[in-house]
Amino acid sequence: MNRKNPLPNSNPNSPNSSMQALHFLQALARIARAAPKPAHSARTRQIRHAAYASMAHSSRSSRRTWSRALLHRLRQWQQQRPGRLLTVRRRVRIVTPITSRPEEPARAETLRQLVPGGRGMEYCNLLEETADYVQCLRAQVQLMQTLLDAFSS
Amino acid sequence: MSGSLNGNSASSGGGATGAGGDDFFDQMLSSLPSPWADLANPKSPWDLTTGANAPGSGEDCGGYDESALLASRLRQHQISGSGSPAGAKPMMLHQMLMSAAGRAPGGGAGAGAGGAGDPSGFFPLPLSLGRDDVEGAFKSPNGTGAEGLFNGYGGGLPGAAQANNQPPFHHAQQGAPMPAQNFGGAAPNAGAQAPAPAASGGGAAAPPRQRVRARRGQATDPHSIAERLRRERIAERMKALQELVPNANKTDKASMLDEIIDYVKFLQLQVKVLSMSRLGGAAAVAPLVANMSSEGQGGSNGAGGSDSSLTVTEQQVAKLMEEDMGSAMQYLQGKGLCLMPISLASAISSATCHPRASASHLGGGPAAAAAHHLILPGPQAQPNSNNHVNPDGPSSPNLSGLTAQSAMANGNADSHKDASSA
Repeated sequence: MNRKNPLPNSNPNSPNSSMQALHFLQALARIARAAPKPAHSARTRQIRHAAYASMAHSSRSSRRTWSRALLHRLRQWQQQRPGRLLTVRRRVRIVTPITSRPEEPARAETLRQLVPGGRGMEYCNLLEETADYVQCLRAQVQLMQTLLDAFSS
Repeated sequence: MSGSLNGNSASSGGGATGAGGDDFFDQMLSSLPSPWADLANPKSPWDLTTGANAPGSGEDCGGYDESALLASRLRQHQISGSGSPAGAKPMMLHQMLMSAAGRAPGGGAGAGAGGAGDPSGFFPLPLSLGRDDVEGAFKSPNGTGAEGLFNGYGGGLPGAAQANNQPPFHHAQQGAPMPAQNFGGAAPNAGAQAPAPAASGGGAAAPPRQRVRARRGQATDPHSIAERLRRERIAERMKALQELVPNANKTDKASMLDEIIDYVKFLQLQVKVLSMSRLGGAAAVAPLVANMSSEGQGGSNGAGGSDSSLTVTEQQVAKLMEEDMGSAMQYLQGKGLCLMPISLASAISSATCHPRASASHLGGGPAAAAAHHLILPGPQAQPNSNNHVNPDGPSSPNLSGLTAQSAMANGNADSHKDASSA
């Protein structure tokens, strides 16, 4: 019944983070190869999207709710950006207020907003997804930091 | 009496243990003394003459209504509280179990026999009605089993004191979903509430004999059990989260949640900041990644041969490096390049290695250094670029968290700090 990851895996040599790193690097390469040199902000955004995409595609998280929601979110972001006119279109979220139950702590709503796909989950599953999401985020941050150090030495 | 008891177990019906309870019950009825004989507690009263004792011991057999149930409970509670074995079925049972476990040989038997010996015959029955693990406990009693039974059952063994609609009693384990189906409506609840508070006061709790055995002083209706299950699941997930999140020494659940939220926000902010500073890195990775399959990237190849001007730059840098490493670095940065060891680059490109501790290469001889280093288009030499630090010292404005780490990591150019220990 307990589907949680047995231990917080922050080992950068594990196959999970290797795949994540590979995805990320490939995405970075794609960004760099883009012929028109985008502006600073655009490139920042692209890199950030690449980071989240590689997170969502890692083997550990491909089965998770948050990874699917994250990919969905990414697609929406990418579709919105190219045309400034399109940003007027707001994402209509049809969220029934079942997510806020009386037993939950007050901050559960904030957590739902932070974790992708957190809106439709129960509190119990939300915690589980948060744990996995935090693990992936940490791995991603470590990866980016490592790359940063490597390139700036 | 056996019929009524059978009726009880049959009425328990819906749960999975109902059928098992029937079989077991028949078995128990057919061979009552035997399990108890195994317990080294042979009792003549262990027979089916419980019917005679029903009135004496209160309501042991079926056919009880709520008031009778409550009355028996209260009485037993009082009795158990006083310690008198008379009619203290839970106490007797407990003692018998303890004796069976080898703790108090004969004590339980004496008490059991001394008290309403006939009612003692009921003890195994309610316990075993549809109870697999109770059966196991009976068959092979051990300390934990006895204690578990004792804790759970406490004084709540008024024979087979159940209403007809009440299912037989069995242990409430954490993941017992079936109890939910077996509970009557208000009947078990009423039975549960009244004895529960009373039981908590007494030494032997007396929860009603329902399908799920609650802990002492806790309600046993299905809603509360589901709630308890849910709470436990949430608690274990919170514990796992506590391990992930640093500064997890908060015992308060609310503050723990705050901590988690702050940590997630912090990580997302870090991703954002890191992506801002990685502009040059992206370009640098491109040639590496492109050459990954060809594995042709060597020191001489520089940045994958993306620009012929790089060779000129390389020569220039090599010349500079002979004089002064710092000036070489400055020259590179002026051009928007940075220097990195080949091992590091290949490590990154393979994306499986943890590029670490290659800074020692930086201190190598100039010629060797030129051969062993890649000159990559590094971060832009702009004031606001933060992903490189001059070995002389940070000259560019820093983003607080990010470059503090980089500064620390690169300030001592000979050693890399573990930047991942953010």
